[in-house]
Amino acid sequence: MTHSRTPAFSRRAMLAGGAALSATALLPLQSAAAQGGFTALATTGMVGDILRHLVGDRGRVEVLLGSGVDPHTYKLTRADIGRLMGADIVVYNGLLLEGKMTDALVRVASSGRPVLAVTEDLGDDYLLSPKEFEGQYDPHVWMDVGGWIRATAKALERLTAFRPADADAFAANAAAYTATLRDLDAYARRVLGSVEPQRRVLVTAHDAFGYFGRAYGFEVLGIQGISTESETGLRRIQELVDTLVTRNIPAVFVETTVSDRNVRALVEGSAARGHRVAIGGALFSDAMGAPGSYEGTYVGMIDHNVTTIARALGGAVPARGMAGRLAAL
Amino acid sequence: MTLLDFLQLDLPAGLTAVLASSLCAMLGNFLVLRRQALVGDAISHAVLPGIVVGFVLAGSRDTVTVMLGATAAAALAAVLIEAVRRLGRVEAAASMGVVFTVMFAGGVVLIEQAAAHAVDLDADCVLYGQLEDVLWLAPTGLASLLDPAALAELPRELVTLAAMNLAVGLLIALFWKELRITSFDPALASAIGIPAGLFHYGLVLLLALAAVASFEAVGSILVVAMLACPAAAARMLTDRYGRQFALSLAIGTGSGLLGYTLAGPLLLLLGMDWSLNAAGMIAVVAGAVLVLAVLFGPHHGVLAKRRARRMAGAV
Repeated sequence: MTHSRTPAFSRRAMLAGGAALSATALLPLQSAAAQGGFTALATTGMVGDILRHLVGDRGRVEVLLGSGVDPHTYKLTRADIGRLMGADIVVYNGLLLEGKMTDALVRVASSGRPVLAVTEDLGDDYLLSPKEFEGQYDPHVWMDVGGWIRATAKALERLTAFRPADADAFAANAAAYTATLRDLDAYARRVLGSVEPQRRVLVTAHDAFGYFGRAYGFEVLGIQGISTESETGLRRIQELVDTLVTRNIPAVFVETTVSDRNVRALVEGSAARGHRVAIGGALFSDAMGAPGSYEGTYVGMIDHNVTTIARALGGAVPARGMAGRLAAL
Repeated sequence: MTLLDFLQLDLPAGLTAVLASSLCAMLGNFLVLRRQALVGDAISHAVLPGIVVGFVLAGSRDTVTVMLGATAAAALAAVLIEAVRRLGRVEAAASMGVVFTVMFAGGVVLIEQAAAHAVDLDADCVLYGQLEDVLWLAPTGLASLLDPAALAELPRELVTLAAMNLAVGLLIALFWKELRITSFDPALASAIGIPAGLFHYGLVLLLALAAVASFEAVGSILVVAMLACPAAAARMLTDRYGRQFALSLAIGTGSGLLGYTLAGPLLLLLGMDWSLNAAGMIAVVAGAVLVLAVLFGPHHGVLAKRRARRMAGAV
């Protein structure tokens, strides 16, 4: 019985398709190949920073998510999908950081285009799986510079396989970038190590600093869970206020991609119990700073975070960070 | 934007938008004629707990299990609405308002629980859908439109919606007269032996299936808009049953096509490098059509009525 209707349906589909086709056929072809080199697309700015350093002048690097965009909740638009499909290689963070993009990434990967997650080689020995995030790993690997060095190695391996002709250039670029990252890691250890041990507690808007805490010896308490999607319970606020008051913690931190409402609740809650807590500054958690600025690079982002945290908690800190390039705080 | 872009991105997503719109527009007619447009709102929200349970049981967005769950939830909602109305002696609208909000809230609680068990579903995705994710990566050129291997890889959402359109279209054609009588005059229908109640529950069931077929791609907000707007706009334009049906279908598919084009492809054609949410744009277009119909409808429109009143005054 359904057969009698099939032709009608497909005719309508063809008509609709045909009308739109005739419009698009007139357009000039635009592809990365026409401009020489290749186009690599990164989801987050942090992944894009790796790519920019590794690819250098051998190709073009695009970043899907701008500064201040929260990757947990971002939904792709038609223009984004077009960019995904137009790239020669797609690199993302993985571990479900790009929550609502996962479906599209999987579908793009199934088309045979190289799609890789920089965290895909990190195993159980490295990854954290917080108990409230049952069975899943914490995706905020870039917060530990050591972890990001491993991510860089992964990106190098896959880029080399993708463009063997440029292997030497990629390897030299990766060596230089890794050296910078090692300096950054050393700086972070030095500055954060100057914070008194009992004050090494980092209270932030969501649980983005798990790897940071493990790498640099901080206890990390987030108000929201791993994803900014999760709801905050009143009880969680109460617990944190208790911790702030009883352990005499001087500062809490807001994040650039998350509303500061919950953090302000902590400050007010503590004030009501006679403990003054300052907001130690805004940390870059899931996205970097403005493009073109020092904080808009991975090194600048981590430098900013490390310097801000150490200063607010009473550590010894150079006035303008590791390289003297931080905007005045 | 290239031809391949169009085949891989815009064709599947645009067609999915059009099919979801036409499906909802067809069913919407019977709701509007029965003055029960709110039932669409109620059912598309009340199916949420069923979707979540089906999803958790299947472990994936497997269509059949999710549809079974949604159907069960819709049946429960229909029975509950009737029960609250009778036992509580409240208006039908109040009873619906109570039942669908409670069931939707139950669904949200279930999702939060399920999310803790790492299930890939959230309230956001149910409400807004993700039309932009409906990709068809198989085609390599125009020839793929006729290539069975490429066609076999059409996105699941698109295939489900096409099948639902066929099934609903066929059922409406089969029960054309019965639906007409039960919609316009249920008392007369019962008097001449047509089970009006059965048709009501049948309609509720179809609504639930349509909501599930559409939610993943376009979200339940668009479903609610498309159940009400095209049929209501068509109602402003004509008093004939058949013509209303045809008009609502045209308005529904037209809004789907226009809304999708305005949200993405048009902006890209104009050289922009950003685009808007397609499902939202489609609902906006459907709403705009309704406003135009209300203003300019030939007999029921605001302007036509004013003119008629003026002429009556002149005589």
